[in-house]
Amino acid sequence: MSGIGGEGTFEGGDAFAGEDPDLDLLEEELRRAATILDPVPPELRQIAVEAFALHDLDAQIAELTFDSVVDAIPVRGATDVPRMLTFHAGGVTVDVELTVQGLMGQVLPPQTAGIEVLSGPVSGSPLETDALGRFTYDRPLAGPFALRLRTGEGVLVTDWLTA
Amino acid sequence: MDRADVGALVQSAVDGDAAAWKALVEGLSPLVWSVVRSHRLSEADAHEVYQTAWFRFAQHLGRIREPEKAGSWLASTARHECLKVLKSLRRLTPTDDPQLLDRVSEDRTPEQSILDLEEAAAETERIRRVWQEFEELGDRCRQLLRVLMSSPPPSYQEVSVALGIAVGSIGPLRQRCLRRLRARLEARGAV
Repeated sequence: MSGIGGEGTFEGGDAFAGEDPDLDLLEEELRRAATILDPVPPELRQIAVEAFALHDLDAQIAELTFDSVVDAIPVRGATDVPRMLTFHAGGVTVDVELTVQGLMGQVLPPQTAGIEVLSGPVSGSPLETDALGRFTYDRPLAGPFALRLRTGEGVLVTDWLTA
Repeated sequence: MDRADVGALVQSAVDGDAAAWKALVEGLSPLVWSVVRSHRLSEADAHEVYQTAWFRFAQHLGRIREPEKAGSWLASTARHECLKVLKSLRRLTPTDDPQLLDRVSEDRTPEQSILDLEEAAAETERIRRVWQEFEELGDRCRQLLRVLMSSPPPSYQEVSVALGIAVGSIGPLRQRCLRRLRARLEARGAV
């Protein structure tokens, strides 16, 4: 075997070429099978191409710092527990609670902010927070989403997540 | 994809070159899809995670520290999203979730796909058998092989982050899994 240590060649035919050429052929057959029987769906590929529109160097990214799916201990026997998310960017914190009905949240420190719920490269639904920074979105979220916020500190976009 | 090419394409995309972005999508989509497929999500969840990975990549494009490792970045992101989806499913549904039992590509049957092929009948039969036996392998081998069969072939680094296994163990595991697959095919007289 060559290339142990994570710096193996990127032309993977070489990267994984072993001492048994028959196994390499079998892997190649699997690759052909996957290309034919389980290819990337063309509509997904197209969405990924269009996602270039999400590339925005002017917006600051609000990073996910808490996700109850990963960071919280599940409540025994509880079902339909809302998913709690926290994002941080600079001095701004965004708390979000995701339920089957939609989402609620608050921008901290409390302030009015314009918010868009994004579900892909096309523009999202606009919302306004109240004076305490609270906001509600009454439509169920399915699939990828992010929030774009216009605050006193500029434009923030949260990390994308799968609802 | 060649890592030097990937690094250059990422840089061009950061500078606003949509064609470079498209080339990244073409070159790295099969890897992202393979990582998602290897985690056996439902069809709908698989589609969503694939999109989330690309949306994040677009969002973080100008901030990725090692552009030449964009494949690993995407593979790692896809893996983490898959694990989250699996975790939230388990929490919300205590019993077996039928979605987890979904099989590959429902909208296009293997039979139909094979008809599309302009290959000799014997060869398509061979591919069908290889795929069938692959699907019968144990979870661990199925997962590893599904990532390895991404096209173009992934690097050690990409496979490692896609599955959370040490780089050094990939080679031996690969050999073992392929040998197991070959043995299954031989047992069916399909070699």
